[in-house]
Parts: sequence; structure tokens; C-alpha cells
Amino acid sequence: MTGAAAAPPRRAPFVEAVRHRALSNGARLYVLENRFNPTLAVSGTLFAGRLFAPQDRRLIASVTAGELIKGTAKRSKLELAEDLESRAASVSVASDASDPAGVDISGAALSRDTDLLLDAMVEVLREPVFPEDELEKEKKKLVGSIRQQQEQTSVRASEAAMRRIYPPGHPLHRLTGEERIARVEALTRADLAGFYTERYGAASLVLVVVGDVEADRVLDSLEKGLGSWTAGPAPAIAPPPAPAPAPGAVTVEMPDKASADVILALPSDLTRTDPEFLACALANSALGQSSLTSRLGVRVRDTEGLTYGIHSAFSASHVAGPFTVSVTVKPDSRDAAVASTLDEIQRFVKSGLTDKELAEEKSSRIGRFKVDLGSNAGIANAVDTAVSYGFGVGYLDEFPSLVAKVTREQADAAFRKRVRPEAFTIASAGTFGRP
Amino acid sequence: MSGGPFELVKEKAGFREFRLSSNGLRVLLLQNRVAPVATFCIVYHVGSRNEAVGHTGATHLLEHLMFKGTPEFQRDKGTAIAAVLEALGARFNATTWFDRTNYYETLPSDCLATAVRIESSRMRQALLRDSDRQPEMTVVRNEFERGENSPFQVLYKHTFATAFREHPYHHPTIGWRSDIEEVTTDRLREFYDTFYYPNNATAMVIGDFDEAEVLALLAKEFGSVAPSSRPIPPVYTIEPPQEGERRFVVRRVGEVAWCALSWRTPEARHPDTPALAVLGNILGGGVTSRLHQALVENSLALSVTVVPWQLRDPALFSVFAPVRPGVEPSEVEKIVRDEIAKLATQLVTETECAKARTQIEAEVIFDRDSTDQIAASLSEAIAVADWEWYADYPAAIARVTPDDVRRVVRTYLNDDALTVGAYLPRPSANVAVEEVA
Repeated sequence: MTGAAAAPPRRAPFVEAVRHRALSNGARLYVLENRFNPTLAVSGTLFAGRLFAPQDRRLIASVTAGELIKGTAKRSKLELAEDLESRAASVSVASDASDPAGVDISGAALSRDTDLLLDAMVEVLREPVFPEDELEKEKKKLVGSIRQQQEQTSVRASEAAMRRIYPPGHPLHRLTGEERIARVEALTRADLAGFYTERYGAASLVLVVVGDVEADRVLDSLEKGLGSWTAGPAPAIAPPPAPAPAPGAVTVEMPDKASADVILALPSDLTRTDPEFLACALANSALGQSSLTSRLGVRVRDTEGLTYGIHSAFSASHVAGPFTVSVTVKPDSRDAAVASTLDEIQRFVKSGLTDKELAEEKSSRIGRFKVDLGSNAGIANAVDTAVSYGFGVGYLDEFPSLVAKVTREQADAAFRKRVRPEAFTIASAGTFGRP
Repeated sequence: MSGGPFELVKEKAGFREFRLSSNGLRVLLLQNRVAPVATFCIVYHVGSRNEAVGHTGATHLLEHLMFKGTPEFQRDKGTAIAAVLEALGARFNATTWFDRTNYYETLPSDCLATAVRIESSRMRQALLRDSDRQPEMTVVRNEFERGENSPFQVLYKHTFATAFREHPYHHPTIGWRSDIEEVTTDRLREFYDTFYYPNNATAMVIGDFDEAEVLALLAKEFGSVAPSSRPIPPVYTIEPPQEGERRFVVRRVGEVAWCALSWRTPEARHPDTPALAVLGNILGGGVTSRLHQALVENSLALSVTVVPWQLRDPALFSVFAPVRPGVEPSEVEKIVRDEIAKLATQLVTETECAKARTQIEAEVIFDRDSTDQIAASLSEAIAVADWEWYADYPAAIARVTPDDVRRVVRTYLNDDALTVGAYLPRPSANVAVEEVA
């Protein structure tokens, strides 16, 4: 045997290895040097999501985020894209439904282009100009994309469930496709510029850089770029309370669909910062996180062969989202799949987790956490999440012991408190053939 | 190195290739200690390319059955493969494609031995029970049906079925519906007993490991697996040259039309492959690319995807675009053809060519950010060529000139070698009615 490289150095705890700088305007910057590959990844969060947009016009938040890269005071959209693409660097700012409070910032580049990437990120955050012609183009594209999404059974089922559970005005309420198209068509440049002025600023900004970089240089460069940025609103969040369940069935009949989607959904009060989050997450993993190994997967996929995919999840961010089970089926298997799913949830709520399940889910979650930290982007994302939810960088080091501490009683109680099988909204979309 | 269970075959760019002397298993090692994580991946050189009518989709259905267990790993004993891996926090799965099937596990590096043992167990000892096939067939049929819901997947399947009439790339990896439903367990076992052998596989370990330890582990788990007693059957069918443009239309209820244009191109090993890849980025790599500018920026298409397919046998160069509602799909087709015609006459600038080369070279560097990404790229490379092809790829890309780009456009992107497909929305009186019960 020859040639084995030296073993890697023992890794310092994240809380020691990650460099941190807090700016006077509130921006929080984090850098981890990871020299194994000549690349860097950036992940960031800023509180300018749909939660903060006007109640009837939530999509202002996502369009504003998306339009940040469509031109700045220094560069047109095309110039900016040319500068980044010619170096294989990328910047994206997006607000999606997974966290109604946050806007996700991400970027990647080869480390030789660190300055180019960081400058571009600062520029799009601080100096967007929202060109009128770009917005008009985007509106046309959005209308087409909404029509395209409306052809998807998964989208239609999910939207029908969210519309039934969350009342108009709630950040998780979903307008119909036609309603959204009308909102898109009414958007003006002033809407975006106004929302930007109101919500964007350093006070809620978290920016994490991981990769083959010099931490001090990156921190200095970002401080230079962001230090004089307006603070903007404080990072306070007052999410609306979860509504009462809306039991019942909704069917969206769509012609010509070989596969149907079913969503079983319940409102939940679980946020990511809830002390019971990990207990709920472990219980959910045993019930339905994996189509192959969890109880729902073993029953509905593996034993009964009714679906390719079945999956359950708590949508817990700064806002308490729903608990959902999603399953794809051959249309004429829908009722059988729903009945088996509800039966399995019923059993799970009644009997709770077994000790073996809890032990396996714990080791799974801890192992998966390590695996997810296996890339620059994975680490950047984990630090960003830990900091923007207020846990701090040390959360990455503590996570395994936090998971290990959860007891079976805690997991069962936390899950039972939130999942009542009789209260599900059951929304399905596909070609069922109306009676 | 000699005398041990392995012989060192070759090394280059950090990769070390070994051969297990007892059975011919190829082993590829790449240390990448970016995190205490490793990926184990085994690639079998069998895919839908090795199928024929009657058992299309067999490779894929077999891949599903491979999770149903072996004497050592099975649900009845509380050691189901997926459950064992899930408990370690592994990111794992298997995928089937035209030229290969791969099984992979990314997991904490101190758990590597479990992944290796599972793969060695299912290489020759999969249970493949008929009682497992029955429910799994309907699982796969639902996977097929999900694909049928996607206009992109429908278009790509029709494109290959139209462009390839004789070669098995004609049929999709998922298979045709009736073959998925009717293929027997015996036929799947025959497939397994033909292709699942160490001498038809490559095992890779990527990430945080000690070479001596990992070779000892592989020798222990795979050393006693016998090679196949019969030669692995070759695929000898050749698709003859296309002698005229082909067209197809799919009409289904919906709102958004799609347009697809695909030209016949050579196999991945062909020296023109790097130039075709650069052409792909010039046409579709980002906001500044030619087709994005011509179609998306002009509000004619919602997006555009360019795929220079790289396969073991001659393949395609494809452009797919969802058409913005209100725009005629024929208009999008015309613009794509016009852009190709321009590239056949005018040379791209060195700057434009350099941008495309940089993007592709960077992809290879970004691959090394995570062990599973390298494993995914290497799986494709060894399926269509070999790992050296992957190792040499950045250098081959770096040599592509504007002249090369024009030459491959002139050589391959001709009307006679073109297949044009359209997915056209059919209006319905009953579109999406929502009823509350």
C-alpha cells in the first residue's frame, strides 16, 4: 500500500472556527475558512419576505427580491450577468414560501473571484434600480410561469389546501392562479421600490461566507461595502397565530393527468424556534420523512404499492406553517391511499414512537447533519440558519446533544398535541372523473 | 504494487484506479477531505441501452427490487437496506440511466464499512422475490405516471423515440407502461444474472478515508464474489444516419406549449464532444447566452434549456423551451434555427468562447465541493467513457476554439439530422374545477 495522504487535522468546534463581525448598523457577518477546494459559497438571510408585504399583495416581496439582480446604479442587468457569468460566479436573491419572513441570499464562485462575488452581492443589496423595462419583461414571464405551475397536480393540490386552511390576509393564504395573475399585472416599479425602501437594510442581515478565503479580508471587504448601509427595520417578527383546522375534502379536477397528487394538511403552531421543534421533527421522521423507511412509506409504498412517493413534514420557520402529508397516486388509487395514510397516522398518534424508532431517528438526524456539513454551501447554509433563527453558531456544535436529549415521552406528546387525524384538510388534484 | 489482492492500474489527477485480482472489480479512489464524510458508489455497466422491447424498464425495475433485500439485509430481520442506511444519516439512493445503474451512499466516514457491506451483499445475493415485485411494479408505474404529468419528460421521451429507431436509446429508461406492468420476476432475475457481477462494475470511494484501510475493506467484502462465467453481452445495434428532418406533436390538455429541437451527435468519447459542450453553454449557459437573449429576454419563451447529451453511443444535442402563452411555438422554433444558422456562418468571438469554457471548467472544480457531486459526475463519465475522460475533460474543454464551435455546428446541426417536437396544449371545457366536499 502506498500514497495515503496525511489524515486531516482535527476539526475545531464551529463556534471557535467561524469568524464573526457585527457591524454598527446591525449586519452580522460570518466567515469560515475551508481550504480544501478553490471555491467559496455564500448564504444569507434578510427579513423582507412575504410576511412583511401588504396583505392582499404578498407577491411584492418575491418580485422585489428577484428584481434586485436586474440592474444596479453601477451596472445594467446584462453587464452584471456578463461580469458574473464570464467568471462562472453566481448570485441569487429569492423569497419563497418555505420561510415567509426571510429572503434567501446565495452566491458561489471560484476563490480567485472572491472580490468580484462579494462586490456584486453588496451592489445588488444596496443599489438596485428596478428598471421599468425589466419589470415589464418579468411580469410577462411570471404570468406564463403561473400558468405553467397551474398545470401541475402537486401545485394545485397544495394551493387548494392552503387556501382552505389559511384565511385571506394570512401570509400562508394562497390566491388562485387567476388572482395571482391579476396581482402581477397590476405591479408597478413604485411598488417594488417602495417595499425595498421600507424593508431592506442591514439590521436583519446575516451573511455567511465559507470556503477558500482569508477571513479577515472577507470581513474587511464586507464591512467596507455594508458598513454604511441604512439599518432599516429591526429584525422583529410578529407572525400571525395559526388558524383553526378546516377539516374536509377539496378536489381539483384536472383533465389528462396520469398521476394525481393528494395533500393532507393541518394548521400547526410549530415554529423553528419552538422548544418542541426537535421532538416534533423526530416523531415526524419516524412517521413519514422517508418514502422508503418511515411508517407511511413502509405501508403505503413498500407494502401496498400505492405510490412512488409519500412524505410528511412540519413546515416550521419563523412562521408556524402546516403539517402536511403529500402523496402521489394513480387517480383510481386515491381513496385507498388516503385511507391507509389516515389509518397509519391514527395508529402512530395512538401508540407513539417505539424506543427503537426514536434511537434510529436520532442517529439518522445526527448523521444527516454531519453529511449536510460536507460542502461549503452546506456549512454556509447551516450557519446562516442557526444565526438567523437566533441560536448562534454554537448550535452546530450542540446539535447532536440536543437531538440526543429528546425523550420518547416528549416526542409523543409534542406530536399528539399537534396532529389530530380527524382534522385534516384533504386536497387532491388530478383526473378522477367527476360523478 | 503487486502481490496483494489489488493491482494498481493507473493514477492521475488525484484518482487512483485499482483492480481486484480475484474477480476484476475496478476500484477508483479519490481522497477529498473537505469534511468527515465519504461517498461509496458502485456503477454497473447496464442501463436501458441493454434492454429490448418486452422488457423495457427492466434495469430500472430491478434497481428498485435491489432495495428489497438480501439474506443479510431485509425488512423481516429488521435490517432493511434503507433502514440501516437511514439510521446512519446516509444520503443514499440508486439511479438508472441509458448506459448505467448506480447505487450510492454518502455518510459519515466512520460508517463507510456498512455501505460497502450492503453493496457487496446485493451484488450477487439480492432476493428478487415475486412477492416484492408485485407492489414495487405499481410504485414504478406511479413513477412513470408522474413523468407523464411533466411536459418536459414527455417531450424528451418522444424526442429519443423519434430520433432513434433502431438503437435502444429509442426507449426511455423508465420503460413503456405495458412492459413495466407485464415483465416477469424471472426476466428481471435473468437480467440480474447477466449483468450484476464484479467484472461489470466499478466501485468508487470518494472523500475522507485511509487508502490502506479502504482497500482492505473492499478486498474483504468483494474479494470472494465470483465473476460472471459468461461474457457480458455487448450491444451491437447501430443507429444509421438520419436522412431527413423528423417531426412529432403531442397534444394534451394544458396551457403552456413546449418546443424541442434535437440534432444527432456523436458518442461521448468522440473528439468533438468538448466543442459541443462549449456550444451548449454559448447557446444556453446563463442570462447572457444566445438563446436566453433571443427567446427569454424577448418574452417569447419562459426559459430555455440546452442539453448536449453525452452518452456511450451517438446521442443528441437538444434545445427545450416552454413557450410563453400567446406566442406561436413555430416562432420559437424559427428563432432557434436562425441562431444555429448564424453560428454556422459567423465565428463566435474568443471572449464568448472563453466564457463558455470557464463555466464548464468551473463546474468540474465545483464538483469537488462535495463528495456526492464528484461521485455523480464520475458515474456518468465511467458509464459513457472512463474516469480518465473525466480527469482530462477540463484540458479538452480548454482547447476548444471558435473555429471548433463553428465546425461542430456545420458538421452536426443540420436539418437532415434534426428532430423537432412540439407539446401543444389542448383546450378543455373542464379545465381545473375545484369542488369542496
